[in-house]
Amino acid sequence: MQAFDFASYARFKWSDMALILRSAGLTMEVTLLSLAMGTLLGMLLGLQRCSKNRAVKFLPLIVMEPLRNSPLIVQLFLIYYGLPSLGFHIKAMPAALATLSLNTAAFFAVLVHSSILAIPGAQWETGYALGFNKFQIYVHIIARQAVRLLIPQAITLYISQLQCSSLVSFVSLKDLTKAGQVVAQKTLLPFLIYGIVAGIYFALSYPLARLARYLEKRTGFTI
Amino acid sequence: MAMIEVKRIAKSFDVKRRDERTGRFVRDKLTVLKDFSVDFNQEGVTVLLGPSGTGKSTLLRCINGLETLDGGDILVDGMSVRDKRMLKKIRLTCGMVFQQTVLFPHLDVMNNLTMGPVKLLGMRRKEAGERARFFLNKVGLSNKEKARHNELSGGEQQRIAIARALMMNPKALLLDEITSALDPEMTSEVLRILENLAADGVCMLAVTHEMAFAQHVASRILFMEKGSLVCDAGKDEFFTVYRRENERIASFLKFIGE
Repeated sequence: MQAFDFASYARFKWSDMALILRSAGLTMEVTLLSLAMGTLLGMLLGLQRCSKNRAVKFLPLIVMEPLRNSPLIVQLFLIYYGLPSLGFHIKAMPAALATLSLNTAAFFAVLVHSSILAIPGAQWETGYALGFNKFQIYVHIIARQAVRLLIPQAITLYISQLQCSSLVSFVSLKDLTKAGQVVAQKTLLPFLIYGIVAGIYFALSYPLARLARYLEKRTGFTI
Repeated sequence: MAMIEVKRIAKSFDVKRRDERTGRFVRDKLTVLKDFSVDFNQEGVTVLLGPSGTGKSTLLRCINGLETLDGGDILVDGMSVRDKRMLKKIRLTCGMVFQQTVLFPHLDVMNNLTMGPVKLLGMRRKEAGERARFFLNKVGLSNKEKARHNELSGGEQQRIAIARALMMNPKALLLDEITSALDPEMTSEVLRILENLAADGVCMLAVTHEMAFAQHVASRILFMEKGSLVCDAGKDEFFTVYRRENERIASFLKFIGE
């Protein structure tokens, strides 16, 4: 086994670290934007899934099921490489945002739908019997509780989507993972560099994970 | 004109039944009420008796507009339950309490009570709060204002539910087997509250299997079987004449231990 040469660390410059940290900014940007859009779209799709109208109820599945049942990276390639071949030219950033947003939306919709379904039907009935209409029951009774069920799960989804954002490095976006690759190749210190990169992802995710745990405990009311 | 006019209603449910021979599930219709008519005035306590599955609960749910009618019509204060725009008014006229009571778990007792009047009647929060305290006192739970549903016993929840229905100032209370899920002690707790309310002149329409309640509090008794009305009588008449002369009622009362 080759003896480890501590002097080799000298190849890792401050400018490299700066590059990594800057790219973490892009990772954050991609993640936050796509999560915001994905959440909004997912909310719409999820509410649609709760409809009694069959057509309205099943329409979102046409979008959701392919997104939930194929690899994210393939979806990304499909949009980034596939669309231009059909004549729609799309840049890396919009392609990445579109893919991640749609993917988030598909999973978020399921969470919304299941959280609403988790509220027992007797609460609807009680609401109706008191004189509330459907909309009022949604707003004053169902949504208040469904949101508390939804938030911890949503945070878990957000964490997973943050990790998944590393895939955008495959379409030439200079995110955290890509910067790690570049620096690792330059310095030939892959363990150290990828260790740092992993550490940054961890530092971004872990507080969220704790928050989810905390909220789950705090709002853990019994229905 | 009676307050609630049930006019020749029919109600059936779609059920899935396993076919004995083929083992497959087949759609079937379960007819619960057929050509059923009855009137209720805003007076006293009417008790609906009868074996399970005879449509007593269904009748109450139809009056409250929770079920859609297959035929006939129900008029509550002249408003038809078939008219979707009238449903809110009908439900404000007839408050309903169920067997499986639900206090909204995200709200404490006080807010459970005030929510309806504030959001639906446009009552001011303060006024609603005073009203809530009045009714909490009525059901003997003044000290539970801040409690959540999981800190209350079944009987207490049921009493809160009664108070919540009364908050809307209904002309009648529809009570759907509200003591069936409770142990005897809690049952008597709830029944005592109902007795007090009856003494205050609150009009009630109750499905129950509590004979003691029927004997002490009811003014009128309806006996139903297989979706039709067997008997509609005053309490005394029911427990003397009908018990003696109608075999079905006699055997029902015997089974139930009266």
